[in-house]
Amino acid sequence: MASSSSRGEMEKMGIDQLKALKEQADLEVNLLQDSLNNIRTATVRLDAAAAALNDLSLRPQGKKMLVPLTASLYVPGTLDEADKVLVDIGTGYFIEKTMDDGKDYCQRKINLLKSNFDQLFEVAAKKKSVADEAGMVLQAKVKQLTAATTS
Amino acid sequence: MSSSTVRDLQRDLENKANDLGKIQKDIGKNHQLRKKYTIQLGENELVLKELDLLEEDANVYKLIGPVLVKQDLAEANANVRKRIEYISAELKRLDAILQDMEEKQNNKRETIMKLQQRLQTIQAGKAKA
Repeated sequence: MASSSSRGEMEKMGIDQLKALKEQADLEVNLLQDSLNNIRTATVRLDAAAAALNDLSLRPQGKKMLVPLTASLYVPGTLDEADKVLVDIGTGYFIEKTMDDGKDYCQRKINLLKSNFDQLFEVAAKKKSVADEAGMVLQAKVKQLTAATTS
Repeated sequence: MSSSTVRDLQRDLENKANDLGKIQKDIGKNHQLRKKYTIQLGENELVLKELDLLEEDANVYKLIGPVLVKQDLAEANANVRKRIEYISAELKRLDAILQDMEEKQNNKRETIMKLQQRLQTIQAGKAKA
């Protein structure tokens, strides 16, 4: 639709049309914002996974540790081997990877998310400026109209 | 004479408006389904990419309920490929349906506009008389 309409085009639109455009743009901005938030939480989770892997790879074999069963219940255990990890790659598939491959996986995913985030951020910023502009033009028009009817 | 035609027109208009609402609801449902499938397609594609990166002898497990079951890499690969194929076909089908519905929606809108115009002209004529 008229997603890339410039200010000049907006000036020509009627108030109803502008309102519709503004609503549409606002909706899209919200959607994009949600997506950005989702990407952010996913990145945080992957960062935590990468940190955990790093931590694990630093521990020697046979190291005693407390394993969380729930958030408040820990049982003692020893580290058996830390060079093989299982990675959840989605849709129920898990892959056995070496420690280095696992770290590499996390890093790759984080990079992918980062590039997606940057792309999406640009789109969102553009949409936001369209929405803001539509709002401004709309306000100006309403003001003009009320001034014309009262005078 | 005109009062009965006006009533008929109004009833017709109401029916058409209901139809339009139904179509719009269906379009909304279609959008939601498409969103779901698109997300699944993306996830499956990521999995396939990851599977393609693996060595031949890598261990692959599938989560079935609460247990991890070991699976052949080739089998897993074929499975994901099949799923992607299915989802793509489903998306294409939804696209076709959506186009059809949008066409219907536009037609309905036009007929409604025409009905409204007719009603208005009749009422305007009445007001004059």
